[in-house]
Amino acid sequence: MSNANINKEDIAALLPKVAETIADALGCDAANVKPDASLINDLGAESIDFLDIVFRLERAFKVKIPRGKIVEEARGSLSESEFENGGVLTPAGEARLKEFLSEVPPDRFKSPMKAAEIPRLFTTETFCKMVIRQQRAAGGSGQPA
Amino acid sequence: MNAPSIADSGLAGGVALVTGGSRGIGRAIVETLAAAGMEVVFTYRDNAAAASEVVTAANGAKISAEAVDVRDSAACAAFVEKVAGRTGRIDVLVNNAGVIRDNLLAMLSEEDVRTVLETNVAGAFNMCRAVIPQMMSKRRGRIINISSVSGEKGGRGQTNYAASKGAINGLTRSLACELASRNIRVNAVAPGVIDTEMSKAVRELAGDQITARILLKRIGKPGDIAHAVWFLASRYSDYVTGQVLSVDGGFKME
Repeated sequence: MSNANINKEDIAALLPKVAETIADALGCDAANVKPDASLINDLGAESIDFLDIVFRLERAFKVKIPRGKIVEEARGSLSESEFENGGVLTPAGEARLKEFLSEVPPDRFKSPMKAAEIPRLFTTETFCKMVIRQQRAAGGSGQPA
Repeated sequence: MNAPSIADSGLAGGVALVTGGSRGIGRAIVETLAAAGMEVVFTYRDNAAAASEVVTAANGAKISAEAVDVRDSAACAAFVEKVAGRTGRIDVLVNNAGVIRDNLLAMLSEEDVRTVLETNVAGAFNMCRAVIPQMMSKRRGRIINISSVSGEKGGRGQTNYAASKGAINGLTRSLACELASRNIRVNAVAPGVIDTEMSKAVRELAGDQITARILLKRIGKPGDIAHAVWFLASRYSDYVTGQVLSVDGGFKME
């Protein structure tokens, strides 16, 4: 799944509801859930919280989000060995990840970068894009339910 | 500070799912949790007559049944979604569905191995995966897996069954680690020899020797297991997680 045609307006339309959903899951104030906040680094999320967030987003937006597929999606057309080597991203993998997570400020990408650290990059906007992709895959309009 | 009444188990008004609830230990669990005031939805695989008997006998208690093959993960997900969609909550999951296909390993068919592992182990995984998001979003839940004395002690003719119950014990301890921070407790009950249809062949084969090996000198009743499940579901066990509780009358070691 690509980022094709997901623009700032699409993301902005979903932001309030996505931020509220994330705040509910993490038990924090929605005002702190900034569009570019890293859920793990800035909001104290643990990996298990992603499961809860995804589940809540599914209900809030009436979409199905495949579990554990985020990193697979990030890989795009690259094979596993083209994307990473021994758990560390290849240069092609790094380039692909920056393209996929275009909403994440460039200075947050490390090099070398471990594949296991990819979730640290996820921001509120990353989850907006996830919802939009699933809405479009399901033939939806990209508007909040 | 006012202590809550000792008679209040905290279960009334909650919703419990019990797999394999039409007979034996499962039925006793269903009826015990319902008696504590829970709404109980149980699954059965193919014995609709037995399932409908449990529902009919409910006599005012909130008990209903759904045909679900726990080996089918999509069916488990759909079942949980259906109940959660209607009730808005799932407080307790009891993974009780299990089968037994005893034989010496050299005589076991591939099917005997697969059926036992898929029902007893994959079935529990499927149900846990389906209910965890529901419990996580409520920041509360209790999962109780029915294991067996065979999960820890060796027994001739039980390699497949023992492997499945050992797996359940491992699942219980590890899942407890994963979910503790979300206030979801995961425990197991390991029954000894209980008077059910499923254990009939084993009991007949062993004869009187079997009670000689039980300190309390009797075969257990399904209710003995159900009471332990009730304890692990109730607020009385709020500080208990990751445990495998043996309920076996003091089964002696060989």
